[in-house]
Amino acid sequence: MNKITSSGANRRSVLRGMTALAAAPLAMPFLSNAAHAADAIKVGVISPLTGAWTVYGAAHMAGFELAVEEINAAGGVNGRPMEIIVGDSKTEPRIVVEQANRLIRQESVDFLAGTFSSAERNAAGPVVQQAGKLLLYPTFYEGQSQEQYPGVCNKNIFMCGPEPSQQVWPHVEYIVKNHGKKFFLIGSDYAWPRETNKMFKEKFAEYDGEVVGEVYIPFNTPEYESVLRDIRNSGAEVIFHSLTGSDTVNFRRQFHAAGMSKDITLWTVDDEEVVTSGLGAEVSAGTYVSFDYFMSIETPNNKVFLDKLFKKFGNETLMNTVGVGMYNAAHLLAQAVAAAGTTDTDKVRDALRGSSFAGAPQGSITLQAADHQAILPSYLMKVREGWTSVNDMFEQVQFFDKVIPAPARCDLPL
Amino acid sequence: MSSLVGVLIDATLITLILALAASGLAVVFGLIGVINMGHGAMLTLGAYFTWAATTAGLPFIAAVPVAALSVAVIGLILEHVLIRHFYSRPFETLLLTWGFFMVSTEVIKIVFGADFRSVANPLPGTLEFGGLQIPAYRALVAVLSLVILLTIGIIYKKTTFGLRVRALVQNQEVASLLGQDSAFLYKQVFVAGAFLSGLAGALISPMLSIDPYIGNVYLVRSFFAVTLGGLGRLVEGTILGSFVIGGSETIFALTTSQVFAQTIVFVLAVVLLRFFPRGLLAGRS
Repeated sequence: MNKITSSGANRRSVLRGMTALAAAPLAMPFLSNAAHAADAIKVGVISPLTGAWTVYGAAHMAGFELAVEEINAAGGVNGRPMEIIVGDSKTEPRIVVEQANRLIRQESVDFLAGTFSSAERNAAGPVVQQAGKLLLYPTFYEGQSQEQYPGVCNKNIFMCGPEPSQQVWPHVEYIVKNHGKKFFLIGSDYAWPRETNKMFKEKFAEYDGEVVGEVYIPFNTPEYESVLRDIRNSGAEVIFHSLTGSDTVNFRRQFHAAGMSKDITLWTVDDEEVVTSGLGAEVSAGTYVSFDYFMSIETPNNKVFLDKLFKKFGNETLMNTVGVGMYNAAHLLAQAVAAAGTTDTDKVRDALRGSSFAGAPQGSITLQAADHQAILPSYLMKVREGWTSVNDMFEQVQFFDKVIPAPARCDLPL
Repeated sequence: MSSLVGVLIDATLITLILALAASGLAVVFGLIGVINMGHGAMLTLGAYFTWAATTAGLPFIAAVPVAALSVAVIGLILEHVLIRHFYSRPFETLLLTWGFFMVSTEVIKIVFGADFRSVANPLPGTLEFGGLQIPAYRALVAVLSLVILLTIGIIYKKTTFGLRVRALVQNQEVASLLGQDSAFLYKQVFVAGAFLSGLAGALISPMLSIDPYIGNVYLVRSFFAVTLGGLGRLVEGTILGSFVIGGSETIFALTTSQVFAQTIVFVLAVVLLRFFPRGLLAGRS
């Protein structure tokens, strides 16, 4: 009898212990916040380090790492160093959700930066919305419309890269005037190419352009015979190209091998330094590319930026618009945290709104307060014949400074 | 008319290139039952070795055999260290070869970096054919694919070595009782498969982007092609399976979107497997 009572008491104390354990996670945020006052500001960086878009991961990470190194060398933010905690997206939206949750819940990061494709950002959208964390997104993207909420039109997401009204619209006139009005649109089968093409067609209609074909290619398609045949039969004068990853390289190599590149002009809104290097001079020569940043742009900031980049990662390091987006994201964030004097989401969001980063490699950039889009320059480049490196890869065709994006199609203000 | 001929030529090219990519798997999976999830990695290695060899100054024509042999050596090591202990346990080979894929992909990233690499097209230009333009190098690879597959067929059907392999495939125990060195035969077949995968990766490299995952584009397609054609039907099976998985897509794409065409192809493949669970040609042997 005695025995039973004592074991009952034991059970009760065990239960009590368990209740305390269960309550512990609830108490944790207070504990960790207190501890944080002296600790690092943790930023979770979600990057495609493995999987189909590994090729883009290096520049993506390098941009952020370089910025954080600069920030910490200058004494950190409000006396606290900034610390990166990496999450590999494996190029899969599903994994992005896992990583975002892990970074927020287990690593207790203060902010998130990164994700690469629009599909990845859209996957992270609901997570940051629920967790009340900010995400700084670096990539050129399709623009915001309320139907894609919470991947866009999300008050917790800031866009550091250009959208089509900046990346595409300024250059439609030039291409149509010089290369014809019959366009064939080819893109990968997901949100970014489809929405970008929608935006493109809006502007294209103003020039009486004719879309003679529009196809979307599933990821990891090795063969393009039937598409090339369709393009040839369509009478297209220009290909507007938004394939991504290895598909862009596979398509463009086969397009060139089929002897079509001499008759049809190609304008890509995806193929930055990394992809163009992969294509080689022969395949890429004579094609057009438009972005907010190229390694070869001659701004004073870019010179300083590249010097530091090469010093840290070696002279062969490739940079691109997305890596620079990450670099700017880290600095914008550090400035905002410094201005807000806290890592509190609402206060940092307020500080980010309307903030500018004067040290951006493109020249000073600004995040618009109302819709979280960045004011950025826009370059149209033509790939040189027989280029040998990123220094002589692109020839500037035209340039617009501080292009203001079309208002986001969101329920504003965010 | 010219568009019909065009479609047929396209379908033939795609079929033969996929058959080439699948040939290594047809040998390793089709004959000795190793569920080689590392097949894609072997293609990738073949492509990278070709890139490395051409970058080092070797002409493409010499780089191809160097790459194929290098992959064969890796296959030999993999077989000797791991695979040979697992021939009777196919599921374990799946895990082992998947592990091989992951390790080799990471090693590739360390050694070659994650950037895109490219091998210059050794045969630029196009062939004119009744108003149609066919990329010369693709046409060459398609022809080589046919030659390679026929060579495999002849070795398998007409040589003593082929006879031994067939005996091994039909009844391993009896073959061993009759004095066959089964272990050595398994090893030879596995290495031959690795060689073919490396060769395919090398030959395909000028057409594709070379990144650490290039071979995986062909992994699922190869498994479908080999399974659909029928295990052990090295030549006809591989070509027929490749036609259903690859070549037919270009025909479907005539009337539907590319996305839908790829979907139909896999639906078709699954339905066909339902009615021919041992492959389209299995009934005939």
